Amino acid sequence: MTEAARQATELAGPTWICALRQSAARGRRGRDWVNPEGNFAATLVLPTSEPPEMRALRSFVAALALFDALVAVSGRVDGLSLKWPNDVLLAGGKVAGILLDSLPDHLLIGIGVNLVQAPMASEVEASAVPPVSVLSVLGVEVGPDVFLDHLAARYAEHERSFVTLGFAPIREAWLARAARMGETVTARMGTREVQGRFDTIDAQGRIVLTTAQGREAIAAADIFF
Amino acid sequence: MTKNTRDADVAFIEALAQLLRENDLTEVQVKREYGEDDSLNVRVSRLSPAAPAMSAPAPVAAVPAAAPPAPDASSAATPEDPAEHPGAVTSPMVGTVYLQGEPGAPAFISVGQQINEGDTLLIVEAMKTMNHIPAPRAGTVKRILVEDGAPVEYGAPLVILE
Repeated sequence: MTEAARQATELAGPTWICALRQSAARGRRGRDWVNPEGNFAATLVLPTSEPPEMRALRSFVAALALFDALVAVSGRVDGLSLKWPNDVLLAGGKVAGILLDSLPDHLLIGIGVNLVQAPMASEVEASAVPPVSVLSVLGVEVGPDVFLDHLAARYAEHERSFVTLGFAPIREAWLARAARMGETVTARMGTREVQGRFDTIDAQGRIVLTTAQGREAIAAADIFF
Repeated sequence: MTKNTRDADVAFIEALAQLLRENDLTEVQVKREYGEDDSLNVRVSRLSPAAPAMSAPAPVAAVPAAAPPAPDASSAATPEDPAEHPGAVTSPMVGTVYLQGEPGAPAFISVGQQINEGDTLLIVEAMKTMNHIPAPRAGTVKRILVEDGAPVEYGAPLVILE
């Protein structure tokens, strides 16, 4: 994403920048993201002048595209699900990560996928979803370049839908793929955490939980099952 | 507890009234959040005389020989709500504020710092989107009104630039 941010100002249209080897991968809020060769690491640079609340909905557009790309390369849907807002789970494990950086004139969507190798469970937070790879769970070996072809095509479809029809169909499709709907989850925020039943996501993309204090719509949190 | 709270509230309101007189303000409004379902919202105002009182102390009042009449004068005086401050940069969305690019990294800005238009002031995260909030203009950071990791509402004042 660092390289993508550097190049962003020179790019006129949406552009995928794919790293064959990644030396400075990162996760949310500085978490390490381990990315050995053979895994997928790419950033989509979208020039945009949209307001921030529209840009943030790309989290869901990207998650759907990634979900569909994994279906396309593996030929199966079972075992795949989405965790708010944009984690893709495979057999209950974290197979990919998406992070968005919104700069004044660009939106950068960084996507990492464990195609061949997942970090050791000891390398991630104890309460986090255990990491898995496409190869280990599905037995499918797919290269980053092939994966990018699928992902870029699926992203373009969902992007077109988002731009022409708005968030509603994206939201419906996301909810249909969501993990743990109706179950109790924990939302950990900067200064507090709440537990509640995961009911839905609202029109702004916030996760809606029914807690002991009532319904709460949350815009930024880490969700734990 | 109730009596203590009440006494504290009364003392607070008296202090506000004194503040009002001493600074020649016409109105001050303060909201204090003590916890969930526990807040104090006070507005203390006094009738402004038809002609602005050019009374004794306020050195600020030396300027307005041709000052506009009362209502404008009061709003131009000391806006108590930071959101009303002309230099306030407000949050474009609901989310969580981060003052650094990542934990452990240096803060984007500090009070007193000169910044250029377009410099990142802070980040507001929503839906795992890190929104870099740019400075709308060049200036000096007067105040940072939010804490790292705090939730913010749409329109909440974040930083005051002058």
